[in-house]
Amino acid sequence: MAGDALTGLKVVELATMVAGPYCAKMLADMGADVIKVEPPEGDPARQVGPFPKSGPHPEHSALFLYNNTSKRGITLNIDTAEGLNALKRLIKWANVLIDGLPFQRLENLGLSWEAISELNPSLIYTSITPYGRTGPRADVKGDELALIHAGSLGNLLPTRAENIDRPPIKTEGYFVGYHGGLSAALATVGAALGQCKTGKGRLIDISLQETIVSLMRPNIAGNRYHHTNWSRVPDRPPAMGRMETKDGYIVIGTPEDHHFKAFRELMGNPEWIAGKEWETLAYRSHHLMDVTTKLDDWMRQQSKHDIHHRAAKMGIAVGPINSAPEVVSDEQFIYRNYFIEVEHPEAGKHKYAGWPYKLSATPPRVYRPAPLLGQHNREVFCDELGYSAEEFEQLQHTGVV
Amino acid sequence: MENNPLPLKGIRVADFCWVYAGPYCGMLLGCLGAEVIKVEGHRRTDLLRHIVTWPLADPAPTPVPPNQGMAFNSLNMNKKSLTLDLTKPEGVAIAKKLVAVSDIVADNMRAGSMARMGMGYDELRKIKSDIIVLSLSSRGQQGPQKDYAGYASIHHAIGGGAYVTGYPDDHPCHNMGDVDLMNSNTAAFAIVAALYHREKTGEGQFIDCSQVEGVTSLIGELMLGYEMNGQIPERMGNAHPQYAPHNVYQCWGVDRWIALEVHSDEEFAVLAQVIGQPELAADARFADMASRKKNEAELDRIIEEWTRQRDRDWLANEFCRAGLAAAPSRNGEDIYADPHLRAREVFVTVDHPELGELELLGTPWKMSGDEVQLQHAPLLGEHNDYVLRELLGLSDAEVNDLRQKDVIL
Repeated sequence: MAGDALTGLKVVELATMVAGPYCAKMLADMGADVIKVEPPEGDPARQVGPFPKSGPHPEHSALFLYNNTSKRGITLNIDTAEGLNALKRLIKWANVLIDGLPFQRLENLGLSWEAISELNPSLIYTSITPYGRTGPRADVKGDELALIHAGSLGNLLPTRAENIDRPPIKTEGYFVGYHGGLSAALATVGAALGQCKTGKGRLIDISLQETIVSLMRPNIAGNRYHHTNWSRVPDRPPAMGRMETKDGYIVIGTPEDHHFKAFRELMGNPEWIAGKEWETLAYRSHHLMDVTTKLDDWMRQQSKHDIHHRAAKMGIAVGPINSAPEVVSDEQFIYRNYFIEVEHPEAGKHKYAGWPYKLSATPPRVYRPAPLLGQHNREVFCDELGYSAEEFEQLQHTGVV
Repeated sequence: MENNPLPLKGIRVADFCWVYAGPYCGMLLGCLGAEVIKVEGHRRTDLLRHIVTWPLADPAPTPVPPNQGMAFNSLNMNKKSLTLDLTKPEGVAIAKKLVAVSDIVADNMRAGSMARMGMGYDELRKIKSDIIVLSLSSRGQQGPQKDYAGYASIHHAIGGGAYVTGYPDDHPCHNMGDVDLMNSNTAAFAIVAALYHREKTGEGQFIDCSQVEGVTSLIGELMLGYEMNGQIPERMGNAHPQYAPHNVYQCWGVDRWIALEVHSDEEFAVLAQVIGQPELAADARFADMASRKKNEAELDRIIEEWTRQRDRDWLANEFCRAGLAAAPSRNGEDIYADPHLRAREVFVTVDHPELGELELLGTPWKMSGDEVQLQHAPLLGEHNDYVLRELLGLSDAEVNDLRQKDVIL
């Protein structure tokens, strides 16, 4: 029996850019019925690229197209009385509300958590904000760059830096948004399980800063209790790890003695690391840097993908640092059908990144491409919320939708 | 709301994971209320139990007494510990008994390892028909690279994250353990979705999770952008394709930095005011987003000249109070000291039998209803009696026999 994991879960998404939309996409691609509510001018992600060569267009943004698959989309001006009323009807319809706006936005419209749970006592209300709904920074703005540093991940990047006077950096793309969305999706579906059993609602308060801090928990605890000095500039010169080949970089680690012996064999057993002493970790830890130049010289003569396969087949943990085209053409990604073709009425047919999980009974899939702006207005208002055709036209006429 | 039990209350997880990614997945399920039983060999324990983890891929792990590694203690809270030697048939037999009373089985061994021990999904579903089994591996359960080994930094590299992380004028950079813990969330999400399906239909299933792909799914817009326009996304340091200023600026002192991002002309006018140069808002070089982006280097120079002379935390306060998105580039000690995190009770204090009181990070979210009471990560074999006698109903003689045969601690 093949099915959809989250069939029957009704979700309203009131969110823009990455964190809230990615959270709702994860649910939608698992079969949840997600209605995305956009302001009349659209999710700002529509204005942010990357775009195709033809240039910026609100239906062509890769950021929007990727993060909004499998959803229906409506537009709504929640600052009008009629718009707010429609939002309340959506809240009553839903099992889950994903709110990626500053939480004050709904509060100022009279929709505090208490008011929301009065409207729908069994609602899971997932509120995603930079710093959470309580505490001294509840009103502070934050986005990708500020939060990756607020959460203490940025300070350790770039890993293995050499100059402490160059600034710490952020990690790839919208990592905070995506990871925050992922963490919120976990908490939300977890809570939805409780909802199935008790019929009771819940407020989930996701602080994006805390989702990043949580990734650093071993470092943070180690700092305090083991007095380890985690820094982007390591305490001793790094040997191996990231290495340069003749056509790019690889990451290679030989932490255990058998890894190192395998690597030595891969190099053809050069006499400068032939001694027995090299077979112990303690010795290597303090002497590998003495032969770094030789190791690096050897590696610079190898080709990235060739050395990846040869080293991996000897049991060494290794991987190429892949650019986007290298990921797309990687044999393992291809074998696993990771990229999936999605046809969008405006943006056309393209390959999208898929999911890192294969579920045997309920595989995730793209149920429909990202919605055009306001594409499902009539369907949602009339079929789901019970507006009459006249009422709906009135909403359109007054610019509410 | 009172009397709203934790959502995974009554769910039991048999956790065969070790090191970073797998164990934290189990802990996350525990944060949602599941009972998590961690299974380890007492002669081959989770290696984090007894080492100090160090930020290099070629670590010289300082040994500490078993149970005292902090990475272990921060990633395995609220679990119960059962020791089992799975290289012995008696160990596997007990593991199968545990599966029979569990809802979820999770492992992060190499692809196929569980099957080789006779505990593949097809075997386990014979023991419990609606079991949910998760295998979290480096590159997935099938395919030409299924047997390749990897760590977090390697997954970050292969998945495409490392290539776009780094200074624009320098080499790419792999991240570290954070990539594993991100993937713990991925795996836990797949598990709760499968539980939701089981709740509705009674059907269990197998979940094959690839940590390399976990990285790629979080750069979906870069991958799709490349598909659409053929341009390879490159490293940008702290920069944003459109916004400026968008950087991390040096403050007074050693390794003291502040992150600052401006997304609109209004915010830029506020920034100009705060740094005492209101005329910058009208300066033709910086008047709108496009011109600021074009003259970003000059703008960064002006801002840093001002921040360089000032205290980081004072700056963060000034910027945030004025309504800008700014934050100190915090390190681990700053996290413990952050009054905001204190006010939100992000840390919990557990009483560790060997180490005394430990203040560790609690759940990564706040949820209304009954709160999880996080306990210290278990000592090795701490719950052998509970699991073997209470849960599985073994007699004293049977437990003694296992101990005799060195199957348990």
